[in-house]
Amino acid sequence: MKKAQSQLDHKIKKYLDQLFAGVGESQELHEQKEELFTNLKEKIADYQAQGMDESSSFKEAIISMGDLSSLVEDLRKVGEKTKQFPTLSPTATRIANAGIIIGVLMTLFGGFTIALLSFKDLKWGESFAPGIFSVFGVSIFTYGFLLKGTSKRPGMKQMRAILYATSAGLILFSLYTAILINLKTGEMAPSIASMMVFFLAGIGLWLTLFLTEPNQRKNSY
Amino acid sequence: MSPTISTDLIRGHTTTIILNILRQGDSYGYEIYKKILALSGNQYELKEATLYTAFRRLEKEACIESYWGDETQGGRRKYYRITAKGKERYQHSKREWNFAKEILDRLIQGGLEDEEGSKSTGS
Repeated sequence: MKKAQSQLDHKIKKYLDQLFAGVGESQELHEQKEELFTNLKEKIADYQAQGMDESSSFKEAIISMGDLSSLVEDLRKVGEKTKQFPTLSPTATRIANAGIIIGVLMTLFGGFTIALLSFKDLKWGESFAPGIFSVFGVSIFTYGFLLKGTSKRPGMKQMRAILYATSAGLILFSLYTAILINLKTGEMAPSIASMMVFFLAGIGLWLTLFLTEPNQRKNSY
Repeated sequence: MSPTISTDLIRGHTTTIILNILRQGDSYGYEIYKKILALSGNQYELKEATLYTAFRRLEKEACIESYWGDETQGGRRKYYRITAKGKERYQHSKREWNFAKEILDRLIQGGLEDEEGSKSTGS
């Protein structure tokens, strides 16, 4: 008896899987299947109680449900919406959140230290040095922010987020060195020269990433 | 051949029928289906496919809400409960129906002559 029961369960599940084949996963789909499963099972049991055998009760129960295509279509749309913004794994979310927090703290730390030092000794050249913390801070924040994504934009792939963060870091680092050299030497030429190297590298990297942005995404959904 | 209700005629009333069932107590898919069948005196079957689509729409419109039962044998049932908004919607639809019912009856069965001609035909 128990065995026959689980065989029927399997049959209903298989039918529902086939019915919703190709529909994107979603919590709603999962619940809809469970709802249909329970109700179908009860209906089959009713038919069996009227003296029908199992296989014809199964067939009859399914036929008598009517045309489920608009329900399937409805859930297909839900599945597509969910697919567009894949949920991050708990680990990735934790990494992204940590990146955002550490990034913000480091940026602030850099800013506060600069302010502190600038009051301690009046030489700007030395007090600006901790700005490097802010450079790394913004870079780490960029990484976390891109990895996490927003409600309008799905989270980025890890490698891509790292590269974006690097390009942001390079551009800021170029500004940082330029300011630092200028403050120390008081000359413009060497500061521009040193800035150029990192700035160009940063911009180059950013442009590459920007131009290879997977725009097909819009079309494929 | 006994007359049947055409799908066209009932389509606009599916949600009102469901709300009428839920107004009398929480219920789940297959039970709602059976209740509608019983209420019609076995004269009308509202397909389950139509029901499930309607549940989704009604829930989205906050006219009903759902919760899972705690059955352990044979899978959990998804129960539906009517909300305050759903009750309001039901009352509104019922008023509309009572009004339409009378007018439609006149439009389908009545004749203009019957009304004013009652004097002439009456004699």
